[in-house]
Amino acid sequence: MYAYKTGIPLIDDIGGGFEAGTNILMLAPSMSYAEQLAYALVKPLTGEYTIVLSTNERTAEVIDYFRFAGIDKHSIGVIDAITKSSVPSITDTPRLMFVTSPTDLTGIGIKFSNMIESIFEGTFSQSESGLFPPPIRFCVNSISTLLMYRRLEVLFQFLHVLTTKLKKVEGMGVYTLNSESFDDKTLSLIKQLMNVVIEVKIEGNDNYFRLMGIKGIDADWRKFSVTKGQVALL
Amino acid sequence: MISTGMDGIDDMLGGGIPEGSKVLYSMEPGVDGQLFMISTLHEALAKGRSCLVILPHTTVDAFLHDAENLLGSRLGTSGKTIVFFDAVDRDRIQRYTKDRKTAAREWQGRITKLCTENHIDVIFMYLDVIYDDFGLEGGLGLLPSLQGCDHKPTLIIEHLNFEGENLLMKFIGELGFDLVISIRGSFLPTPHFNLFTIVHASWSPQPKRSVPFLISGGRVVPYIPKIVVTGPPESGKSVFVAHASENGLSVDRRGLSGDTTTVAMDFGWVRRKDFDITLYGTPGQPRFDPMIPVLLKHAIGVVLVIDATKADQIARARYLYRMVTELKVPAVIAANKNDLQGRMSESEIRDGLGIAKDIPVLSISAQRREDVLGVLESLVDFITQFSY
Repeated sequence: MYAYKTGIPLIDDIGGGFEAGTNILMLAPSMSYAEQLAYALVKPLTGEYTIVLSTNERTAEVIDYFRFAGIDKHSIGVIDAITKSSVPSITDTPRLMFVTSPTDLTGIGIKFSNMIESIFEGTFSQSESGLFPPPIRFCVNSISTLLMYRRLEVLFQFLHVLTTKLKKVEGMGVYTLNSESFDDKTLSLIKQLMNVVIEVKIEGNDNYFRLMGIKGIDADWRKFSVTKGQVALL
Repeated sequence: MISTGMDGIDDMLGGGIPEGSKVLYSMEPGVDGQLFMISTLHEALAKGRSCLVILPHTTVDAFLHDAENLLGSRLGTSGKTIVFFDAVDRDRIQRYTKDRKTAAREWQGRITKLCTENHIDVIFMYLDVIYDDFGLEGGLGLLPSLQGCDHKPTLIIEHLNFEGENLLMKFIGELGFDLVISIRGSFLPTPHFNLFTIVHASWSPQPKRSVPFLISGGRVVPYIPKIVVTGPPESGKSVFVAHASENGLSVDRRGLSGDTTTVAMDFGWVRRKDFDITLYGTPGQPRFDPMIPVLLKHAIGVVLVIDATKADQIARARYLYRMVTELKVPAVIAANKNDLQGRMSESEIRDGLGIAKDIPVLSISAQRREDVLGVLESLVDFITQFSY
């Protein structure tokens, strides 16, 4: 089975990376490096594809992040739930798709399916990896915003559909959630859908993460930084 | 009747949706089925009906742009035949009302006003977000019991269904919906296809049935993935498939007599009665019989072609017909070569084949495309009415 490398030796040295079908919840406070860490984990390697569901940033900002990390934009797909509210006439392309707001779970679900389908059909971009199933990294940034728009029960069901589909296509998913804004019930419900939890905290000016749910890795806090899409343990 | 905007589905429903009905398009998450609602709206507008569209998840401009992209043409929004209640209206109500009860009253008031002022014929409602805000009964209760309007409008709802069959049964039972169509998908890596199921149509005794569909040229096109054309040698199967098809091929070989015979299969594709149909023709020679069950596998319908001028072929045709009956799928008999002398009567054919009275026997010449298409139309009718 395919393993998704992360560039973090701590994870890659055990089993070669995240197993295909892994869904990872990233719990982090505001103003932390969680977003950069999430994007670094879903940064596509050669032959891989990445889909980002962005509820916080416009497509251009997401693409810019990966461009600065030296990634070919042709392997990145974005489902943008921000731009269309101000530019209603914006039109979908195979790699950039738009929904009016994070409320529109119907639209998000359809765009996600369409993007996966186009990757499988080889129409997503001109370059094909030749791997089957094509390795797909997926990032939801963030669940917190979706929760502001939709009821927890509905969002749970929706995320259940997404995480299950990602398992079926042997992808890997990272889902960011603000750890400060939601109660324990919400956090534990969302955790049920995940295989791995990465917690992020800030102490002073330093960021730390700890991993839970990976065999062979303890849950100690580790100081880290992210530079140009590369995670460094300090 | 109000057309769904999808001819194939209208046919299955006996012409469309009766005025004043309550309709649900239930969408499974991730299934590209938004065109069902949009097609019905497009058709209602094209027929000059006044429509209210309630879309709390998006704005009017974004909706119109999306609809245009889906349809490949603009929604007919000229004149005063379409009014909207969109995300901006929802936000405004949320901002200025203190609680859910007051918000519900505000929604009801606005919808009633829109209905009465515009003499609304059809209400299109995207239920999903409303369900979140007010619950199912509460959400449907926002519609002014359809009493605020001077006549009872037809109600068409699209809903993202996370609750599966239970919710559908609730719509049919407790909520008394007249038509429930479930739009589902098979999310496998590949191949990927979608299907719709007419779960319930109160005015039609048809059994529940599922039909695959394609989105093509801005339309929902029901898809019949396999109709098999079989029959004795030289009965005209290849000619049938060739004349039916807009695209097709035949794997033939010239025999010692100089005539060609099918040695593998015929293959064709045709759009008829708004259905996309793929045709598979079998060889007729007995030596290819082991192939026939393979070709018949997963067939949705069968055309048995016989040469009506050759009574000596009836035994072979009967043998093939028995294979077909084991499939328990709709079948029609095409009695070919009706332009020639010495053909058998329909009763002779029926007796010879030993077929039931409800199996259509159609006298045709496979050389005439209209005859061939007539057979396919008859089979499509049979398929859409058939209890599998």
